[in-house]
Amino acid sequence: MIVAVARRIALSLLTLVLLAIFVFVATEIMPGDALDVTLSADELAMIPPERLAQMKRELGLDRPAAERLVAFLAGTVQLDFGLTIISRTPAADIIAYPLRNSVLLAGAVLAAAIPLALALGVAAAYRYRRALDNAVSAGAIIGYSVPEFVIATVLVILFAVLWPLFPATITAATRDPAHVLLAAAPLPVATVLIGSIAYLARILRVGMIEALASDFVERLRLTGVPEWRVLLLHALPAGVIPSLTAMALYAASLVSGIVVVELVFAYPGLGQELVRAVTRREVHVIQAIALSSAVVVVGLNLVADLAILLLDPRTRR
Amino acid sequence: MRGFARSILRRRLAVLGLALVAAHLAIALAAPLIVPHDPFKLLDAPLEPPGAAYLLGTDELGRDFFSRLIMGGRVAIAAALAAGFLAAFGGGLVGLAAAYYRGLFDDVVSRLVEMKLAIPAILFVSLFVTGFGQTLPVLVFVMAVIKMMGVIRTARAQGLVLMEQGYVKAAILRGERGPVVILREMLPNVADLLSVEFALRSSSAMLLVSALSFLGLGLSPPTPDWGLMIHDGLQSIRSEPWLILAPALCISTLVVGMNFAIEGVADAAGLEAARGTAGH
Amino acid sequence: MKAMHRRSLLKAGLAGTAFLAALDRSLGLAQAQAAPKRGGTLSYAQLSANRRSADARNARHPYFVVDANTRLQWNCLTWVNEKLDVEMELATKIEPTDDRLVVWDVALREGVRFHDGREMTSADVASSFEYHRRNAPFARQIQRIETVGKYVARFTLETGNAEFAYILAEYNSVIMPAGSLETIGMDGIGTGPFKIVATDANRSMIMERFDGYWREGAPYLDRVEIHNREGQQESALNGLRAGQFDAVLTIDPRAVQQLQSDPAYDIETARGGYSFVIQLPKHPGSPFLDKRVRQALACAIDREAIVRVAYGGKHGWIGNDSHLMVTDAAFVPRPGGRDVAKAKRLLAEAGFPNGITLPTLYFSPQLPEVPRYFQVLQQSVKDAGITVPIEERPNDGYIQFRTGDNDLSKGNFHKFAMTAVGSRNPGISLFRMRGANVESGHWRGPEHDRYMALYETAMVTRDAGRRKAIYAEMQAILHEEVPAILPAGGDTFLVKRKSVRNMPYHPQIWSIRFDHVWKA
Repeated sequence: MIVAVARRIALSLLTLVLLAIFVFVATEIMPGDALDVTLSADELAMIPPERLAQMKRELGLDRPAAERLVAFLAGTVQLDFGLTIISRTPAADIIAYPLRNSVLLAGAVLAAAIPLALALGVAAAYRYRRALDNAVSAGAIIGYSVPEFVIATVLVILFAVLWPLFPATITAATRDPAHVLLAAAPLPVATVLIGSIAYLARILRVGMIEALASDFVERLRLTGVPEWRVLLLHALPAGVIPSLTAMALYAASLVSGIVVVELVFAYPGLGQELVRAVTRREVHVIQAIALSSAVVVVGLNLVADLAILLLDPRTRR
Repeated sequence: MRGFARSILRRRLAVLGLALVAAHLAIALAAPLIVPHDPFKLLDAPLEPPGAAYLLGTDELGRDFFSRLIMGGRVAIAAALAAGFLAAFGGGLVGLAAAYYRGLFDDVVSRLVEMKLAIPAILFVSLFVTGFGQTLPVLVFVMAVIKMMGVIRTARAQGLVLMEQGYVKAAILRGERGPVVILREMLPNVADLLSVEFALRSSSAMLLVSALSFLGLGLSPPTPDWGLMIHDGLQSIRSEPWLILAPALCISTLVVGMNFAIEGVADAAGLEAARGTAGH
Repeated sequence: MKAMHRRSLLKAGLAGTAFLAALDRSLGLAQAQAAPKRGGTLSYAQLSANRRSADARNARHPYFVVDANTRLQWNCLTWVNEKLDVEMELATKIEPTDDRLVVWDVALREGVRFHDGREMTSADVASSFEYHRRNAPFARQIQRIETVGKYVARFTLETGNAEFAYILAEYNSVIMPAGSLETIGMDGIGTGPFKIVATDANRSMIMERFDGYWREGAPYLDRVEIHNREGQQESALNGLRAGQFDAVLTIDPRAVQQLQSDPAYDIETARGGYSFVIQLPKHPGSPFLDKRVRQALACAIDREAIVRVAYGGKHGWIGNDSHLMVTDAAFVPRPGGRDVAKAKRLLAEAGFPNGITLPTLYFSPQLPEVPRYFQVLQQSVKDAGITVPIEERPNDGYIQFRTGDNDLSKGNFHKFAMTAVGSRNPGISLFRMRGANVESGHWRGPEHDRYMALYETAMVTRDAGRRKAIYAEMQAILHEEVPAILPAGGDTFLVKRKSVRNMPYHPQIWSIRFDHVWKA
């Protein structure tokens, strides 16, 4: 057991190190370096080489790639992602609060999505191939097929403009306390929630169908265990456990959805910073955002894996 | 085969999905022939209401909105299909190879897959767009890489099953070389699986490319594109809501149609599509 | 001569107070039963942000987001009113001490307090301008600044400038408490009617009434909240409709069309408003080194289409490739109009018979109409065989991005890019095309020198009619040389709820005052 847990943790750490290397290689070594990325092709063509060399020296980009990679990794461990190219501000300072705010939004979405998806998934599986199941399945497909920005736009028209129940744009400040941000965010949460429920309900439904069709559920039923006990105490854990990994993977697509709604609702999170950084070609900020969200996703995967280890005796080998 | 077709036709949602996809593809292919106006030309005053001259009026630049709407799926659909194909084919090969060779290669591939799955798609695209520029080939390539990871997983799992099959074992015993075994013996046996993957990955690539365009990280103006159109239409969300609703309806019907079709076809073929949606 | 000049400036000062009085009167008539009310919060969204430093290190500095909050937080020595006439603000008198109009004495208002309670004196003015003359493009002509008395400061200019009083009203040139060059302005303390309570860089700023404000009885509001929604007009207007904002500044004509029939809102217009300069880099290898390419581009742009699409026709005007606004009396229309055939001919002569692909033209959404403006421009030059890729960049950090290395000795690499141009008096506007300014694409050569010689003459010419003639000659040089292109401009607007009173708009967004805004 301890060995298995340690192995999982070590693998997660290894994944993160590889990720950091990958992020650095993809953004700084393959295309050249941070400066090549920041400057446009026109500029690179027009600036004389000696001037370019001087600019690179000023930014410390004249060192060999391997040396820069080591420096990058060392910095990353200390949460130092370097300075922005344009304003020379630490990238970590720029993303700290937005990261908290995005995690907050994601937490709110998950807190609402998981129970609802569980209810729908279980109900659909229980009524497998009947009207309820068909409705849930079709609804789920529609739910995750309609883009978030479409849902967000429709929700704004309905609930902020035509029937002004909720704020259309978020005026809370980046460093406001959590409850202020959440109070302003019902529409962004609802937007991501729709896709999340659809997605998670679908995964859970499949898990539950398998669990309900399994021999041990059949045996329980034959021994006269009440149906609700079979469903909630036996089939449910058996159905959820194999779905945990798929659910943790969902964290990655959750981030993508959050980026979109943050832009639509002017929510002060990582999505805003990400688009700002991409349009400004601020490589270090993008690296910091990519790595910090990867830490969250890898962390969630680790939690899911450990939960499976804990709950499912078959995996403890 | 006839039984399979009948089995699909019995599924009403699948039929609806196939019809939607067919209609979208037909329009996208025929678009240059059927557009009433040049979708780029500044024809008239901006935001003319729908009428006889312009079926859906003009957009915020005075271009014919109907023509742009018809053309608006072409680039995104082509990009999504290309990415989906590359992902299914490339991912299939890599996954099978991992299953065949095992060992270090398998470990490296598995680690890479896990790594990529930990970076949200939009961030992954951001990394590459920043590094290599926001061009169509870069977008297609990046989307293919993103969507490939899930395919590798599926193909690898299936490959491990195939490795236990008699004909694969026989081929190996005959002394066939690795690439030959993978291409000749294994690949044909995962063709149906990869076809489903291709469709699935294409549909999620369609969602991704639209979201990217909406964010300003995907296709660039003046390309007619639904994601861009919705972004621009936000300005007149109250006065000319059709500028948003029409492209929103287009994207949604296309992706919903694709997923209904995939679900139905996979179900009829006895394949489990539900698991594959992990690439969403 | 000198006396006359003095009188005209004095008159400007008097006109200022008279103007304000007239404004109050007219409002009194319009809303006879509603006397101004004290108190309340004004929450507004701004769509335009002219940003210098894009970072979050200090969001209180006057060079950060320099626009509408300039007169909330600070004051300048002078103020330019809605008609673009100069009035006194923290100064009471501005006069030249010599005939060459090079050395100027500025007498200060006495008893003005900063937000921290200290009294403003000439030492603060000197310290502030030591900073501005190094950092603000408009203040570079100031060579020296000294204190003559506690309430008198003396400015020495590079060359004479009859319109110097306007320079002192510019957006960066606020008066800050004296400090070192490194730290001055960082605390955000000014003499303005509101003081900062909280800032969220790039996002919002919250201000409260400053009780020690020098203008008697002002301000009426207790609190002002500024929310930055640059590039997101739809988000700002949704906020307005949902009741989150009382006003939105710099909305575009398209939004005006949607809102003007709605009885819940008032639209305020600033005529002339803004135009956009496209700088044409002239460093080695640039296609714009060839005058014929610049002329071809100027001929190929369909300026009428820009006016039609970006400004809804009636709110726009065709630019003349100088920084002058059409509302300026000195404005001379560009001769010839659009001429695609001529553009093709010029390109052929320049060695591009099959058309030319220009470098990427960058723009930032400084005003909401900008993306449409540049898409029309891109589409229209295609007719002349000109392909120009366009790319949007965020406002945040745009000045640094656009100007690049604005250093002539280092090769002054800057971009083929646009920036917004506000309404100003002709002296300042025409001075912006000097070769030392990046907006001219660092224009050089004999025609440039002739242009600058004319400018210097104009600046010491006191006869307004003769000055206007010189300005016309300068514009003729620009029409021929095309150092930069200013295709079109248009009015700007603000929308406010009916309950917000006495909030007129201003063609210079940094000159808007909130002193007498109140909420019913």
